[in-house]
Amino acid sequence: MLKFYRILLHLYPTAFREEYAKAMEHEFRDELAEAQSGFPVVWLWMRLLLDFTTSLPVQLAIEIGRDSRHALRLWAKRPWQTGFAVIALGVAIGANTGVFSVVNALLLRSLPFRDPAGLAALIHFLPPHDSAAQFDSWRRHSNYLQDAALFEDGDLNIGEPQHMLRAHITMTSRNFFSLLGSVPVIGRTFASEDHAVAVISYGLWQELYAGSDKVLGKTIRVYGLQPRPDEPLRIIGVMPANFDYPASTVLWKSPEYTRGNNGWAAIGRLEPGIGWTKARAAFAADVHHLEPHRRFRADWIPMMMPLADELAGHVKNASLLLMGVAVLILLIACANLANLMLARTADRQHELSVRSALGASRARLIQQILTECLLLAIVSAGLGLIVAVWATSLASKVQPAPLPSQTYTILDVRVLAFMVGVAVLSAVLFGLLPALSVGRIHLFVARGSTELRSSRIVRDVLVAAQVTLTIVLLTASVSVIQAVSHELHIDRGFRADGVVTGSVALDGTVRDKPGLRLHYFEEVLDRLRRLPEVRNASSTEFLPLLSGKFMGGPYAFDGHPSAQGMAADVIPIMADYFATTGGHVLYGREFTDAEVRSNAKVLLVNETFARLWLRPADAVGHMVTGPDGTVRKIVGVVRNLDFMGQYISDVFDVDPPETFIPAQNPGGFDSTFVVKVEGRPEDQVAAIQAALQSVDSGVPVYGVETMQQRMDRAFARPKFYRTALAFFASFALLLALIGIYAVVSYAVTQRTHEMGVRLALGTTPTRLRTRLVRHGLATVVVGALGGIACAASTGKLLGGLIEGAKGFDVATYVLATIFICLVAAASIWVATRRIANMDVVEILRAE
Amino acid sequence: MSPADNLIPLSPAVFHILLSLGEGDRHGYALKREIAKRTNGKLKLGPGVLYGSINKMLDLGLIEESDERPDPHLDDERRRYYRITSLGRQVARAEAARMRELAEMAAATFGRARHA
Repeated sequence: MLKFYRILLHLYPTAFREEYAKAMEHEFRDELAEAQSGFPVVWLWMRLLLDFTTSLPVQLAIEIGRDSRHALRLWAKRPWQTGFAVIALGVAIGANTGVFSVVNALLLRSLPFRDPAGLAALIHFLPPHDSAAQFDSWRRHSNYLQDAALFEDGDLNIGEPQHMLRAHITMTSRNFFSLLGSVPVIGRTFASEDHAVAVISYGLWQELYAGSDKVLGKTIRVYGLQPRPDEPLRIIGVMPANFDYPASTVLWKSPEYTRGNNGWAAIGRLEPGIGWTKARAAFAADVHHLEPHRRFRADWIPMMMPLADELAGHVKNASLLLMGVAVLILLIACANLANLMLARTADRQHELSVRSALGASRARLIQQILTECLLLAIVSAGLGLIVAVWATSLASKVQPAPLPSQTYTILDVRVLAFMVGVAVLSAVLFGLLPALSVGRIHLFVARGSTELRSSRIVRDVLVAAQVTLTIVLLTASVSVIQAVSHELHIDRGFRADGVVTGSVALDGTVRDKPGLRLHYFEEVLDRLRRLPEVRNASSTEFLPLLSGKFMGGPYAFDGHPSAQGMAADVIPIMADYFATTGGHVLYGREFTDAEVRSNAKVLLVNETFARLWLRPADAVGHMVTGPDGTVRKIVGVVRNLDFMGQYISDVFDVDPPETFIPAQNPGGFDSTFVVKVEGRPEDQVAAIQAALQSVDSGVPVYGVETMQQRMDRAFARPKFYRTALAFFASFALLLALIGIYAVVSYAVTQRTHEMGVRLALGTTPTRLRTRLVRHGLATVVVGALGGIACAASTGKLLGGLIEGAKGFDVATYVLATIFICLVAAASIWVATRRIANMDVVEILRAE
Repeated sequence: MSPADNLIPLSPAVFHILLSLGEGDRHGYALKREIAKRTNGKLKLGPGVLYGSINKMLDLGLIEESDERPDPHLDDERRRYYRITSLGRQVARAEAARMRELAEMAAATFGRARHA
């Protein structure tokens, strides 16, 4: 019992404990002896515990208050140093919290579905789906999936011909909602006998029906969905506000199974208790068994992964990378602050030894230092909170969360706990060494020693550690920045400068008739071309990089069918498309307006397509039979157009074969006008928007903006990573340099006497400074070598996380080392400038 | 306003400690027992509150440590004794005056208690 009471006494702050613990223990013994046993002992313990819980907080507050006031007085004496420490740690804590809020939202918070851990995305794989019966039979017989569902989503027109909305629509198999375990707020979801019915989102319910219960049974039209492009759908249910899966869907439609529709995507729920390893093996066997039903592109490897991972997509790896970087920054900041605190503690040697002589114990002094560190961490965490809020809002702009329930926020128990944990951990990290050194000062001062050689070594080790971490961060950042920059500057087969774009959708409008569609496009193009600043105008059904859908299929070249599983994309365009978008027609020519109007059987192919059969230069004049059976003559070969940038799509496909046909029936896909203008394209956006709307006000016109704006948005994420990494790397470098500078200038102050003697003995200041640079650089080089070793060993991880990032790159390592040595040498040289102005006589007299 | 006035009102624990020490030097445990006796067991100070109060009173200069051992045959060398300072006496007096005033005010308002 006494042992337990001693433990309780240990929880009191040091000063109080040292003063009264013995007396309290003494009393406890007396009272225990009086109480003897039974109920009085229980009563005694109850009173003691009550006393403990009331007095402990008071004593803690008193002592922390006293130590904090002391710390604040010390800080006020060195505002610059304190300011630097708070900023360094604040940015580090903020960056960690900000990145963690994203990781938490995407990877740790569970999806808003029933038992989300068992949900799987089936990538590049389609189960049998020619009919409902075929699909149902497959899913019922699956030995690894309890259930599976199909969906196909895209942007379509909904509403009435006079008032058309562009919205994200998803056609789903009937069990889609039950698989996810999601229930509607009113009405019901699809049942097996349902046909031509729809479930709408909460937002659409509010917007079109003002949240009225009478919405059930009303009809809504969705245009352009095959095979019945304008069938009215009966609304049977409304989903809750936080449900918009997939991709901000506003309307879910009952399924239409058509033979050969490869637009479906599949999700499933694992059999209970099967585990991912077993399920993946069973999935692989299933894929092998169903080979004929594989999707049309042979290089797409079927995969089964947790739905949460699929939704997180590229953001997952990038977030993990940024998390790693943020942790490195925190470690560097901690090493820096540890050094700073060590130097400060050494400076306060006199004060501490006086306090020690006055009876302050080692534990008391350590508590004082740790309180100071904790206080520093708390103040920094305050700044970190601001940094974290800013970082989180930036991340939400750059990469919005895929589901409403995954919104990035720091107002989350896990994120806030993480932040507090990081702050406390960092305080311990940078407070531990100074606290231990206090113990040593305590001992050594008693023996009359001053500066310790061992603490100098500790400081050198801390500098080396900072350099090590900085090199790891620097090389990783350079590698990723190179990869991103390469991706950004790659030749995509078109140029964004000087191009304005604007999209239209004719489905369901009065123009939605075979002849009228082309006529509408010609009319728009005619108006656009007549604008004074417009040099050229054309249109495409799929805009490179920015289209989510494709059309294509197997084909034949001069009557020879394409290889098994090999398909080509088909992209309908108008005349002058490549001239307008700065594309390259390598051989032959583009279509003419007359060819588009007369539906001439002509075709353009890209280099990849041509190379599959012959030299691209010889392709013109050959005949190609398209997926629809039409035979067309090749009139030109163009450079590959990059439709799927690596950082934009989760599926990176290198240069697929592409064919371009005259757009005979335009306006049904992501139809977009492209307009090449003179001068600043931003200035022409309004005029082009007006021209587009002037032809027919009933046609929804959207996305009128410069191509550059579209590209900027598409590449916002990689650009953000690039900027973030560049910032982190620079920040780490700055911290390391300040660390080196502080250590060297502190050493100069400490060893003024020694320097004075050396100068008196005939050494020149320059020689002394060179010596210090040499010593400092030795530390830096040791740290850099450690950094290279770490970078090389973790490089593989980096290569795996970020596509295109080099895991091992000698040139980067060497350059980074040379760079850090140069800036370190400069920093040391500046730090030792005092030596040049030293007055030897003064120093020796003072000593 | 005298320095003593700045320190009142006192908490019951502090006032009772001052009262006990007014009669002579005591160690912590003796203070505690006496206070319990004095209040018929109504105020039983736990060790945390007792030494917390002593600590605060030492800081404020109301009491000080004493080297004298007033009760040699009961004394334990390891125990620390406390003594009231002159500031402590002033404060205790000021607190008593305050309480008296309060009591009179209550009497004027509600009348005197019969068994007072």
